Amino acid sequence: MELGTRRLFNRSFSFVSIAAIVLMSLSLVVLLGPIVIKGSKAFVFYGTIEYRELMLDRFSRGNRAAVEAEKARAEAARKPVLDLIRGFEAQLDTADADFRRRYRDDFNELKSLVLELLGPMPGESEPVLMRQQYGQTRWDRARIKLDGVLYVEEYNYSDPTKMGVKVLKPRVDRFRGTSLEPLFGALEHGVKDMLQPRLTWYWRFLFDGSHDSHFFGGIWPEMLGTIYLALGAMLFAVPLGIITAIYLAEYAGESHFVSMLRTCISSLAGVPSIVFGLFGLAFFINTIKVSQSKSVLAGALTLAVLVLPTVIRASEEAIKAVPLTYKEASMSLGASRWRTILTVILPAALPGVLTSIIISMGRAAGETAPIIFTAAVSVGKPLAVWQTLAQPTPALPWNIYNLATEHQAIDEIRHVQYGMVLTLVVLVLALNLTAIIIRARISKKLRG
Amino acid sequence: MQRQLLISKGARRFNRLGALFGHSLLGAIASSSVIALLFIFYFIMRDALPFFRIEGVREFFTSTHWYPSRDAPEFGALAIFVGSALVTLGASIVAVPLGILAALCLSDILPFSVRQVAKPVIEMLAAIPSVVFGFFALVVFAPLLQTHGGSIIAAGAWIVFAPLGLVAVAVSSDAAASRLPLKARAAGRVGAAVLMGSLAILALLALTGFLNRLPVSTGTNAFNVSIILGIMALPTIVSVSEDALNAVGRELREGSYALGATRAETLLKVVVPAAASGILAAVILGVMRAVGETMVVWMASGNAARIPSPWFNVLEPVRTLTATIAGDMGEADQVTGSARYHVLFAMALCLLAFAFIMNLVSEYVVRRSRKMRG
Amino acid sequence: MKGMSDPEETVENTKGNFSAPLAKPSVRARSGGAQPSGEPLIRAKEFSVYYGSKAAVDRVTFDIQAGKVTAIIGPSGCGKSTYLRAINRMNDLIPGCRAGGVLSLDEQNLYASDVDVVALRKMIGMVFQKPNPFPKSVFDNVAFGPRIHGLNDRGTLAEIVERSLRRAALFEEVKDRLNDSALGLSGGQQQRLCIARAVAVDPKILLMDEPASALDPRSTTRIEDLIGELRGVYTIIIVTHNMQQAARVSDMTAFFYEGRLIEFGNTDEIFTKPRAKETEDYITGRFG
Repeated sequence: MELGTRRLFNRSFSFVSIAAIVLMSLSLVVLLGPIVIKGSKAFVFYGTIEYRELMLDRFSRGNRAAVEAEKARAEAARKPVLDLIRGFEAQLDTADADFRRRYRDDFNELKSLVLELLGPMPGESEPVLMRQQYGQTRWDRARIKLDGVLYVEEYNYSDPTKMGVKVLKPRVDRFRGTSLEPLFGALEHGVKDMLQPRLTWYWRFLFDGSHDSHFFGGIWPEMLGTIYLALGAMLFAVPLGIITAIYLAEYAGESHFVSMLRTCISSLAGVPSIVFGLFGLAFFINTIKVSQSKSVLAGALTLAVLVLPTVIRASEEAIKAVPLTYKEASMSLGASRWRTILTVILPAALPGVLTSIIISMGRAAGETAPIIFTAAVSVGKPLAVWQTLAQPTPALPWNIYNLATEHQAIDEIRHVQYGMVLTLVVLVLALNLTAIIIRARISKKLRG
Repeated sequence: MQRQLLISKGARRFNRLGALFGHSLLGAIASSSVIALLFIFYFIMRDALPFFRIEGVREFFTSTHWYPSRDAPEFGALAIFVGSALVTLGASIVAVPLGILAALCLSDILPFSVRQVAKPVIEMLAAIPSVVFGFFALVVFAPLLQTHGGSIIAAGAWIVFAPLGLVAVAVSSDAAASRLPLKARAAGRVGAAVLMGSLAILALLALTGFLNRLPVSTGTNAFNVSIILGIMALPTIVSVSEDALNAVGRELREGSYALGATRAETLLKVVVPAAASGILAAVILGVMRAVGETMVVWMASGNAARIPSPWFNVLEPVRTLTATIAGDMGEADQVTGSARYHVLFAMALCLLAFAFIMNLVSEYVVRRSRKMRG
Repeated sequence: MKGMSDPEETVENTKGNFSAPLAKPSVRARSGGAQPSGEPLIRAKEFSVYYGSKAAVDRVTFDIQAGKVTAIIGPSGCGKSTYLRAINRMNDLIPGCRAGGVLSLDEQNLYASDVDVVALRKMIGMVFQKPNPFPKSVFDNVAFGPRIHGLNDRGTLAEIVERSLRRAALFEEVKDRLNDSALGLSGGQQQRLCIARAVAVDPKILLMDEPASALDPRSTTRIEDLIGELRGVYTIIIVTHNMQQAARVSDMTAFFYEGRLIEFGNTDEIFTKPRAKETEDYITGRFG
């Protein structure tokens, strides 16, 4: 190849490989972007009067007088619309069969949609489900519900080559000529006064329990469960892991036993996480019965086995990285080997060991598969410490899955899902960042 | 002083026993890892073998009829095995070239300051929990694929083939032009470049048009999962490959540069071959990560136990072993002792065996390379 | 310093061999402090150290006298550091290392099976080539040795720390920084700290493996002065590749080459009237 071409190839190779790195970084941005943006909406959003009423009723938060004044204003704004509805309902009751047949179903649909938006009508009996006792608490959801009231979704199948195309038809067309016709315009123009949205900072999202399957409230049980599981896993994995690392770094020779041990540790690191989950179920719960059924204890034990190889590997590296000369100095002063390990080598290796512990803790907090069968439930109360021995718990990873796939009203609680994901991501990344900072300080400490 | 220096026989024996005891105790605690692995094998096997005893081996591995909840249940898991293989293959296609290129970039091309920024990015990507990836795949990526699927795939094709095409055109036009006499060479090179460039662009446009029109019936399919799994496996491949590339050492590189090779030539012809076993080990680890991944495939693969037709049609939903275990266990656990329960352990056993063998292979590869290096 | 030799001893300077007359009856039990000079303290008799099958120290025979400073010189790889480390049995830390012959301290064979290595190392202090203070405070570094050997009373420890630091000519510089990290000291200070740490356990013998080779000239001078001050209080054996240093600092000098002891005697005589040709070649710089 000619020199020019070789140079060109060289440059294009550099370009392609840099593009690879850029692509990787971009994927991180693309991944985290929506999560951060939409997840923050769980914490910062426009809350309506319904939200403030909820906070007052259920959490005793807020100024009663102010909220009640606001509620009065909102109800005043709603009165015309609700009157129209009541009027038409009365009309329906007294109308002839034709009229009823024509409008009954559409009216019922319309009324339920409006009540979903604004909350139960004053004067009617209180609904059973909490989610129906309040109107929309978030302005963004309210806008969507409003669209649902104003427009009907229909599918146009006229083009045989394509799938059905969604078409939005104004709902008012169905009530042309009736007394309900002005309702739509009034609703559209007055909804802001009816709901009174205000910028809200719901940091307690992290600490409130959930009400009515996460329709309202926060994610505290999940957070607490995740914390229990992560700490519990480290409680078991750290002593075992550090001692194994000490053995491998200081005591082990090159025997067959030691190489088999190392192979086992790396094999353990490669076992799929779902297999750990099954093992946890079959061993910890069904065989040695640490608990009757799912429990935090069983989950923590399973997670401990999962992170054990990482703790061992990283701790061994940290111990081996301690300069040999410290060991020599200590032994030349007459310290025994064990004493040297305890008073000189371990303290010097501590930052490295700590780093590995923190990173493993992040891993334990984020794993789902091991806890599906051993510790996680979808709904539950925050546990007291002594309850963790026998009771299962909600946890962030499991509930993210659950809320996104098996929940009754997945679309209604999108913000909660994103909020959970953001919380988990922040938790794990914060742990990793802490580890990185500690690692950056190691060189300073050991080299003076 | 003599007296001071000596140690009594009893004390010596005590010391020795103490050291032996301590050594053994440490060794015993360290063996907990061995014990854990043995236990895992034992308990998975214990609950997996009953399935094979009841149902036999042939149907499991060869039939695609997966109906475990029927009255006359069928346990043909072939489609599920194919599903696992398909997404792993897809993830490897995404992650291996990208990962090796990124590792090369990190070890040899990027300046130190940029490297300090790039490494945390990789570590962050590695730290993100799998359920977050799964959530992204299900909630963000799948709807996108469903509405704009064709365009996304077309864009991906552009990203992949445009740089490669550029390189190919440049190299081949030069190779063709070198056949010409010296004077005509410059003109020949330009001419060949234009000719081949236009061909390449036409081919790419045709491909784009075809891809744009691809019907995407559902966003949760093998393509979705392959991309996401590939991104998940990337950090592993990048960091282990980078270690292997760094271990090659300066001398080899300097020898090549001293002979007048360009950086690309040095990397591709000298460094990568020297680090080949380490890179192979990295790829194996990445593949292991992709195979063993549960949450992403459970949430976004579509969970349809069918072999796509044709087999490489990644736009169809598939099911993997891991997702089946996770998904079916909830119901199967009610009937512990049934074939439904045991078949899941049978799948787990296959996964475990595969991971274990892959790990041994990777260790063997690394060990052999060390021996060869001396 | 130089030229001073015990008139009651007959010194025979023979290549590779050194024999002393019958030892005087002497006071045996002693603890720290000055020792009657000139007594043979560490006797090597056909002593060897093997790494596998290779002899790093090859059948060396000579005696080191109490209270004196003995320098061991020679080109790199000649076994001087190995011999030094054999005295406090630091070579035990290296797998595959074994000893042959006899190396005795006060007539006690150090490699006998009933020797308590921990007690031995308490009697012998070691200073390494590169200063290696622990990543702990100055106080904790010096107190490390006494603490291991059971001393925990804060008051006594503080006394010992001060005394050791004074002896290492470091106290004035660090007395306000006792609780700061030892890694914040300069190279020369760190090495003196290591000397203080070594003397804190009240050894009889100080082994120094090229103690100044990693230091700047000024710190080197201070270390050499320190060695002069410590002579007589401790028996000092110093390995050095710096011949001028050996000439300045030591009373006796041993020249090692390729594991064998080539010549041993008064420093003056080694440097002015060497008997072996290899010694002369080395001293005059023909190889090194």
